[in-house]
Amino acid sequence: MSLLAPIICDNGTGFSKIGFAGNSDPSFVFPTAIATRGGPAAQSARGGPPIPVKPGNLASKRGVEDLDFFIGDEAVANAKTPGYGVHYPIRHGMIENWDHMERYWEQTIFKYLRAEPEDHYFLLTEPPLNPPENREQTAEIFFESFNIKGLYIAVQAVLALAASWSSSRVTDRTLTGTVIDSGDGVTHVIPCAEGYVIGSAIKHIPIAGRDITQFVLNLMRERGEMTAVPPEDQMKVASKVKEDYSYVCQDIVKEFRKYDAEPYKYFERYDGEHSVTGRKYGLDIGYERFLAPEIFFNPEIYSSDFLTPLPEIVDDVIQSSPIDVRRGLYKNIVLSGGSTMFQHFGQRLKRDLKQLVDRRLEASVISSGSTRKSSGVEVEVISHKRQRYAVWFGGSLMASLPEFYNFCHTKAQYDEIGPSICRRYQIFGSAT
Amino acid sequence: MSNSLRPYLSAVRSTLTAALTLQNFSSQVVERHNKPEVEARGSKEVLLNSLTISRNESERVLIEPSINSIRMSIKIKQADEIENILCHKFTRFMMQRAESFIVLRRKPVAGYDISFLITNVHTETMLKHKIVDFIIQFMEEVDKEISEMKLTLNARARTVAESYLMAFDS
Amino acid sequence: MILLESHNFVIYNTLAEKVAKPSSLDVVFVDFDGVRFHMSTPEKKTVIQLSMNIRCWDELAQYGALDVLTREYGSLITAATEPEYNVTLQVDLEQLPAEADGREAMLKSISLMKRNVLGAPFELAFGEQKKLEDSGSSRGQLMQIHYRDEEAIYIQAASDRVTVIFSTVFREETDRVFGKLFLQASEFVDARRPGIQNAPPSIQNAPQVLYSNRDPPLEIRDLPGLRHSEDIGYVTFVLFPRHFAKSDASFNTISHIQLFRDYLHYHIKCCKAYMHSRMRHRVSEFQKVLNRAKMEAATTERKTVTGRTMISR
Repeated sequence: MSLLAPIICDNGTGFSKIGFAGNSDPSFVFPTAIATRGGPAAQSARGGPPIPVKPGNLASKRGVEDLDFFIGDEAVANAKTPGYGVHYPIRHGMIENWDHMERYWEQTIFKYLRAEPEDHYFLLTEPPLNPPENREQTAEIFFESFNIKGLYIAVQAVLALAASWSSSRVTDRTLTGTVIDSGDGVTHVIPCAEGYVIGSAIKHIPIAGRDITQFVLNLMRERGEMTAVPPEDQMKVASKVKEDYSYVCQDIVKEFRKYDAEPYKYFERYDGEHSVTGRKYGLDIGYERFLAPEIFFNPEIYSSDFLTPLPEIVDDVIQSSPIDVRRGLYKNIVLSGGSTMFQHFGQRLKRDLKQLVDRRLEASVISSGSTRKSSGVEVEVISHKRQRYAVWFGGSLMASLPEFYNFCHTKAQYDEIGPSICRRYQIFGSAT
Repeated sequence: MSNSLRPYLSAVRSTLTAALTLQNFSSQVVERHNKPEVEARGSKEVLLNSLTISRNESERVLIEPSINSIRMSIKIKQADEIENILCHKFTRFMMQRAESFIVLRRKPVAGYDISFLITNVHTETMLKHKIVDFIIQFMEEVDKEISEMKLTLNARARTVAESYLMAFDS
Repeated sequence: MILLESHNFVIYNTLAEKVAKPSSLDVVFVDFDGVRFHMSTPEKKTVIQLSMNIRCWDELAQYGALDVLTREYGSLITAATEPEYNVTLQVDLEQLPAEADGREAMLKSISLMKRNVLGAPFELAFGEQKKLEDSGSSRGQLMQIHYRDEEAIYIQAASDRVTVIFSTVFREETDRVFGKLFLQASEFVDARRPGIQNAPPSIQNAPQVLYSNRDPPLEIRDLPGLRHSEDIGYVTFVLFPRHFAKSDASFNTISHIQLFRDYLHYHIKCCKAYMHSRMRHRVSEFQKVLNRAKMEAATTERKTVTGRTMISR
């Protein structure tokens, strides 16, 4: 059977990662946005598809108004075209507007991937705690509208765990571990045991990529560096600084001293060009380099309403998980998403977490009055090369396994049983 | 509304209202069971005579009353292949969401397109005349919706064909 | 988006990206009709190897696909074809035209690779028609391209026309009904009665379309191995010299006609998506009607003696 590569679709709140199984990077990464005719206001007022005007009058394009839309980068580019309104069909990881999402997929498949859905298996992702009804709706769209061959819906966190298998430091391929998934909007800490998400212990942190960029911008404004930069470019420059120059330090105070002692060694120069006029400007990048990711570890430097550092949250999450998996969770902490890409992020997290754990062990030794010493808890944070699109990459890995096809639900099975079949999927690597 | 539709709907409405005289009734066969008798069919004496209201050969309604539940099935007009498909799709789509349509049955009775099952619990917790209103409105609109969909589909097909063929001349 | 585009986005984007910033690469991807691509940098970062696998390569090669490729890509074609693939191009990013326009055209042409290969039999047929017209004989060879498992394109030149027949299989009942509707609509448009639906003049120039369900049209009736079942449809396009006499018209016609099947199936799917959104709307309307039947639950706040609220969980 000559099969075409399965298609992996990871539709996130901000960006969709789409590509074919077996590749190491998605073929397309673009915003999960759709620009349709009729602004957001008009759309919500009507609440449904336009009822066509009487057939037989004007416009040769009648009856296909619903094909007049753009997705991804084109949607964002058309945001200001009169008559179009941009919508984001996914909110907080979950699909809110099925009409838009269906059309979004339609164009993804036919315009960008140029694949015939009948010939492909699909692997889709969903956030943890996605209601099963959403799975059913998704299955309904994919099987009934697109007639796809087979479908697998995987939880993002589990795929992120699978992606970490590519790291050389991972010896046993386990699906037990804690996933720290930090994208643009929000950061999740998700414990998984044997491929199942422990829903009750999940925690969210309202600090993610967007906040870091904002923080960098604030810092540079305070230092007066941003005066040279035209206002419309400031956000872009800030995110550039974040992506290209930032790293996690091990000790802020020492780092400050280092910078003050030898500013020429550590300060970097950034040269930019005005996006419209082409005027050149330059600025110095200083403390932002190590302060930016520091907001994960000392959130009080950025926000006043969220004050718990990331290592503490991770510890909380693991402590609220069942006791028999805690060791496994500490031993396999996996990073995923663009905002975990900072240099030394993993090391710092590991160190801080280790300190927390050791302190608690010591305290319990003292309070129990026992003379025996604890053997200690192993804490390991895994960073790997595919971190940025870890979820997608995990999907790509999974879907290139030969067993993948057995785990999928096929069109025939769907026709037999109906969408409820998609409520349950077999976890990879598990016994039946 | 065409001439024969009005009497048809009003016949359905009054029959349905009359049939919705339900009471709580425990099973006589199995202890501590309380099931819709029209579905369980455990004891004959609590089932009432079912009746059919037909508008024409392709449109009819079957009402099966019993002591604690009634089952009502509708056959929707399907003139051709396209209407057949559309009707099938639509009812399937709706039955897929049966849990939110409390009175909808997940599968239609054989020979019909869609079925409703109303039990005494429904009539006790919901307004009876409003349930009837819902079913009547459904019957009215489903025909309209299907013919509208068919029209759109035709218009669409023509547009699509036109734009394909027109592109040869550029 | 009503019409599908004929160039491949992945090829174009990847090449454009690599021109700007060469890096190592190894990806597989697909195109319509089961075409597989493999793009990689086996030796060095600036030399990209692009291989294509197309199901009906043997047939296409017989109809001159290689000549077309040589004409389009010349020295880019490598002698050592990657195993499992049918043709391999090697693009040296350092050898690309320096000026932006030339480079753009080059990338565009590479991303049209599938179109060019599949276009070969059409070009052959157009050429043959010219010869037949001059010599006065009636019919050219019947070319068969089995571009999918169960579907094929048949092309035959005659002295005054080129006939293109597509066979297409509908896997599902809904698809079959919708497909039939679309195809009948094309026939109807084709009737182009003057004045109807104020048809634009350009319709007049469109090729003639014939559709038959189940039974294959006359031209190919004698071929062995044809299926006669409900789920198969045959679509015949009759192209006249005006569609391919001029080179740009011919280019356009080829790109356009080979996407016919994909276009048809794309629109069947769009149509279903549209139906879904209508149904979603209608179902939520019905839901509202039913919700009116629900009685308002008594929601009085219950408090304990000490004034604390009781919350039910």
